Amino acid sequence: MKPARFEYVAPATLDAAVEALAAANGEGKVLAGGQSLLPLLNFRMARPTVLVDLNGIKDLSFIELRGDSVAIGALTRHREIEHSPLIASRLPVMSAAMRHVAHLAIRNRGTIGGSLSHADPAAELPMMAMLYGASLTVQGPGGRRTLMAKDFFVDALTNCLEPEDIVVEIEFPILQHDGWAFEEVARRFGDFALASIAISIRRDKSGIEDARVAVMGVADTPLRLENVEKQLCEIEVDSRMLDRFSELVTSSVTPNSDLHASAEYRKHLLGELAKRAMRTALAAKG
Amino acid sequence: MSKDSSAQPADVLRPRHVGAPIKRTEDPRLLTGSGEYAADRKPDRPLHIAFRRSEQPHARLTRIDTAAAQTAPGVFAVFTAEDIAEDFKPVIPFSRMANYYATPIMPLASGKVRYVGEAIVAVVATSRYLAEDALELIEIEFEPLGTVSRSELAVAQDAPLLHEEAGTNVLIAREFKKGDVEADLKSAAVRVSGRFEMTRKAPLAMEPRSYTAEYDVRRGAITLYTSSNIPGIVRDAISESLGLPGSRLRVVAPDVGGSFGSKGSLYPEELLICIAARKLGRSLKWTADRLEDVSSSSQAFAEIVDAEMGFDENGVAVALQADVLGDVGAYSIYPWTCGLEPVQVVSFLPGPYKIRSYRGAVRGVATCKPPTGPYRGVGRPISTFVAERLMDLGAKALGLDPMEIRRRNLVCAEEFPYRIASGIIWDKTGFVECLDTAGAACGYEQLRVRQAEARSDGRLFGIGIASYAELTGIGSRIAVAPGMPINTGSETAKIFIDSTGAITAAFGVASHGQGLETTLAQIIADDLGANFADIRVIQGDSDAVPMSTGTYASRSAVLGGGAAKHASALLRDKIKRVASHLLEASHDDIEVSGGKAIVIGTDRAVTFRQVAKAVYSDMKTLPVDAREELSASYTYDPINGTTAAATHIAAVEVDPATCFVKIQKYVVAEDCGQIINPMIVDGQVHGGVAQGIGAALFEELVYDEDGQLLSASLVDYVIPSAPEVPDMDVVHIESESAVAGGFRGMGEGGTIGAPAAIANAIADALSPFDIDVNLLPMTPERIFRLIEQAKLKAKEKSE
Ligand SMILES: Cc1cc2nc3c(=O)[nH]c(=O)nc-3n(C[C@H](O)[C@H](O)[C@H](O)COP(=O)(O)OP(=O)(O)OC[C@H]3O[C@@H](n4cnc5c(N)ncnc54)[C@H](O)[C@@H]3O)c2cc1C
Repeated sequence: MKPARFEYVAPATLDAAVEALAAANGEGKVLAGGQSLLPLLNFRMARPTVLVDLNGIKDLSFIELRGDSVAIGALTRHREIEHSPLIASRLPVMSAAMRHVAHLAIRNRGTIGGSLSHADPAAELPMMAMLYGASLTVQGPGGRRTLMAKDFFVDALTNCLEPEDIVVEIEFPILQHDGWAFEEVARRFGDFALASIAISIRRDKSGIEDARVAVMGVADTPLRLENVEKQLCEIEVDSRMLDRFSELVTSSVTPNSDLHASAEYRKHLLGELAKRAMRTALAAKG
Repeated sequence: MSKDSSAQPADVLRPRHVGAPIKRTEDPRLLTGSGEYAADRKPDRPLHIAFRRSEQPHARLTRIDTAAAQTAPGVFAVFTAEDIAEDFKPVIPFSRMANYYATPIMPLASGKVRYVGEAIVAVVATSRYLAEDALELIEIEFEPLGTVSRSELAVAQDAPLLHEEAGTNVLIAREFKKGDVEADLKSAAVRVSGRFEMTRKAPLAMEPRSYTAEYDVRRGAITLYTSSNIPGIVRDAISESLGLPGSRLRVVAPDVGGSFGSKGSLYPEELLICIAARKLGRSLKWTADRLEDVSSSSQAFAEIVDAEMGFDENGVAVALQADVLGDVGAYSIYPWTCGLEPVQVVSFLPGPYKIRSYRGAVRGVATCKPPTGPYRGVGRPISTFVAERLMDLGAKALGLDPMEIRRRNLVCAEEFPYRIASGIIWDKTGFVECLDTAGAACGYEQLRVRQAEARSDGRLFGIGIASYAELTGIGSRIAVAPGMPINTGSETAKIFIDSTGAITAAFGVASHGQGLETTLAQIIADDLGANFADIRVIQGDSDAVPMSTGTYASRSAVLGGGAAKHASALLRDKIKRVASHLLEASHDDIEVSGGKAIVIGTDRAVTFRQVAKAVYSDMKTLPVDAREELSASYTYDPINGTTAAATHIAAVEVDPATCFVKIQKYVVAEDCGQIINPMIVDGQVHGGVAQGIGAALFEELVYDEDGQLLSASLVDYVIPSAPEVPDMDVVHIESESAVAGGFRGMGEGGTIGAPAAIANAIADALSPFDIDVNLLPMTPERIFRLIEQAKLKAKEKSE
C-alpha cells in the first residue's frame, strides 16, 4: 500500500500552481489536506505523475463576510469553519453540520476545497454548497470563472472541473431565514452519513414562506429538493405536516444499496430524519 | 485442593504486590512512542518484501511470469513457490483427531490458490515502494476452478474441492454425546430451538502482522523478530521446516501491538522471510498493510449452529443438541488446526449448566476465504451466544425470569468439581455468585421497573444476561487444540540475581498487551522478597528458555505466574542459605523481603547486592561450597488448569427511528480467582467487552459470492470506537483456585460474555414485536429488516 512514483511541487502562489498543473498534461493532481487523496494514492487508485501542493499558498485560507454572502478560501480547514463565529451566525446550518465531518484529526487537515472537489456523496460540505446555492470560483490556464454548486457535482466522486482547474474560493449566500435544522445518522460518530437532511425555513403567519431542503447519502450526489421546497410553501403547518413533509422527501429520492445500508433502510432513515429536522426548524419560532 | 494456594504465614507480614493496582511498567515506553515493535528493528541494510496476492478465489496457477519484475529498479530477487521448493519442508498442522485432514502450510501458493489475498509471489527490493512497483509487472494466468463462497455450498454434492487430496471439503468432523438426548427432548415440558449464526470477524490488532529477519553472516544464523504471541512455537516449526537448529534460529516477539489471536499461528510469510533471508544472506523486513492484515490474517467465528434445548416443567434444562457448521476457510492453521474454533463450540456449548444429556456435532468445511484461527474466546463467544439465547427462549416459554432460570441450572458451590455433558470438568468457581453479584450490581429489579416504564411509553428497552465458564491455564492433561501433539501444558521461569544484585526473570510467555511484564514482576517481588523496581522481566524470546509455547488461551498468569512463584521460592531459599552464613543466623530465622534478607525480629540484614557480592565477587567471605549461583528455574504444569467464569448484564435501548442500539448499562461480575493487578484485570474486561460489542453490533467481514472481500478497509469494516463503548461496572469475585497462586485466566472473558448479553438484551427490547435475535452482528440494517418483517406479519395476522 505505497503510492506509485510521482513528482512533488509546492508552489507559493496560485498562478504558479495553475502553471504547474497545466504543465502536467492532465496527469497532475492538487494536494490540499490530503485526507481523501492520500488513501487513493496508497491504494494506487489515483496515479498522478505530479502532485501540486497548495498548502504553501497562504491567501487561499480565509473566511470573510462579503455583502449578503460569506466567502471561504479553498484551503480553509474544516476546523476553522467549525469554530468560526461568522459561520455560526450567518451560516448556522453549516456550522451545525461541521461537527459531523469526520474526526478531529481529520478536521484539522481537511479543507473545504478538497471536500467539494472530492465530491463524496455522503460528505457534509458538498451538501451545504447545495443547500445554500453556493458558487465556486475556479482558476484555470484561461483565467477565473464561476461555477454554481448545482452544476459542480456530476456524480459520486466526480466534479465538473478540468484537470488543470483549481478551486479558489466558495461563496455562500446568507439565507434570511428563521428556522433551520441539520440531522444526520452515521454508523459511528464521525463516519460518513448513511442519510442526512438539512432544512432552512422562513415562516409567515399562515405557514412557510421560503424553504431550503437538501439531502445526502441517498443519491450519487448531494441533492437540493427544490420541488419539496416549493410544496412546503403550500402546505399547512398542522398536526399532519411532519408526516407529509417526510413523505415528500422520501418520495423524491431513490437511494442505492451498499454494504452499510439498503435502499429501503436509507429511505426509512431519511423519512425519520426529515420529521426530526422539521420539528426542530418549526420549534425555532412561532 | 493442593498446597499450592495455601498462604504461608510469612506472606501475611510482607507488603504485597499481588493484588495491588500497580501502574504497568511497559506503559511509559509504549505511550511515549519508545516501544520497539518488529518493524522498528534496524538491521544492517535491510531489504523489503512485498507480496503479490491472489485476486482469484480458487484457481490453478497456469503461468507466472516474473521476468519484468526481476529487472525492475531496486529489485533484488523474486520468488515463486517453484523457486524455493527445495528450501523448506511444508509445515503440517497435525492432529490425532479422527476425520481430520491436515492441509500443509506453504510459504507461497503452489499449484493453485484458494482464497483472495493468498500470497503467490514475493518480491525483495531495496524499498517497499520499489517492491510494490515491481509487483505490478508480474503476470499471472489463472484457470478458475469454481468458488466455494459459503459453508452451505462447500458441503453440496457437486461443490468444487479446495483440497482434492482430502476428497471432501469437510476438513474436520466430530461428535460429542452423552445420555439419551432424543428421549429427554421428547419428554421435555418445553423445547426451544433456533438457527444461530455469528458471521466472520477480523481480530484486528492495532499493529498489523510484522516480521524482521536479521541475518548473521558470521554464524549463518537468523533472528526473526515477529509480531507473534507464540514465538516459541514459531521457532520450533521454522527450525524443523528449514533444518536450522535453535542455536542458529532465534525467534523474538518484541513489543507486540495486540493479537487477539491473529498473531497466534505460524504464518506463510514468517516461513518465507526466513527462507529468503537464508537464500540471500541478507536481513529482510515485511509489515502487512491494513488490507493485507484484514485479508490474510486468521479470522474468527463464521459458524452456523442449529440448536435445541429441552426443559422440564421446573425450568431445569434436561437436554441439548446442536449441529455446528464452521466455515474454516481455505487452510488449517499451525499448530491449532482448523478444528480449534468449531470444535470448541461443541465442547463448551453446555456452558456452566447441568444439562443431563447432550449431542453436539460439528463439521469444519473449507471455503475460499482466509483460515479461521484462534480469536479471543475461541468457540465460546458463539457457544455462549447460542446457550444463552436458548436459556432466554426457555424462560420466555416457561414464564420464568431470565435470572431465575439461570439460577436453577447453574452448577452450585457444593456440586464442584462438575463434569458437564460435553466432558469438561469445572473446578470450584463462583458461577452462582457471579450471577447474583451482577444482578445486584446492575440493580436488576429496578432495571425491570425501568423497562416497564419505558415500554408503557412505547420505547424499546431490554435487559440481557449471559453467564459463561471457560477453561484457563490449561495443563498437560488437556490439549489446547484437539489432538494436537504440542505440549501446551507447561511454562518455564528462569530467575537469576547477577553480581550487581539485579534480578532478571526470563519467561517464554509473550505478552502482546496483557501487561505480563508488570504482573509477573509483582508475583516475583512478593515470592522472592524483592524490590519490584529491581526486577527485569524478559519474555517472548526463544533464547531465554529452552522451550515455550507463548501467550494464548488465558494461560500466562496461571502457567507463567505459577512458574514464577515456584522459581522464586527456590531462589529465595538460596538467598536464605547465603544470608545465614553472612548473618550467622539459622536459615529458619531469616526472612527475605524488600530486596533484603533479615534476621526476624532484629535489624540485622544483608541486601541482595551484598548477597550477590559474597557469592560471585568475593573469594573469602563464603566457603566454596556455599557459593551457589543465585539462579533458579522452574517449569510449571497445572495439570488440569482452572475454570474462570462471569455473568454479564446489558441493558439496551433500540431507537425505532434509526434502528440503532444504545447500551444504557453494562455490568460484569467475574471470577478470576486471586487478582494480581486489579487495574489490569479491569482493563482486560473493558477491552474484551469492547470487542464483544464489536461482534454484537458492528464487525463483519463480508465476502461476496465470488469470494471477494467487500469490507477490506476500516471504512467498511466497522469497529466500535470510544463513543460506542459505554461505561461499565466490573465486579470481582475472587474465589479460591487450586493452581499456584490461586490465579485464574481472564484475558478472554470479555469477548465471550458481551455478544450473548447484548443479543439477549436486544431480543428483550424487541419482544413487543416478537422478534428473535439469532444472527450477529445485529446491525441497524438487520434490526430494520426484522422490525419491518414483524410489522408485516402482524398486519397479515390481523387481516
Ligand atoms: C476516516 C475519514 C473519515 C472521513 N469522514 C468524513 C465525513 O464524515 N464527512 C466528510 O465530509 N468528509 C469526511 N472525510 C473526508 C475529509 O473531510 C477530507 O478532508 C475531504 O474530503 C477532502 O479534503 P482534503 O483537503 O483532505 O482534500 P485532499 O485529500 O487533499 O484532496 C481531495 C481531492 O480534491 C482535490 N482538490 C483538493 N483541493 C482542491 C482544489 N482547491 N481545487 C481542485 N481540486 C482540489 C484533490 O486533487 C483530490 O482529488 C473523512 C476522511 C477520512 C480519512
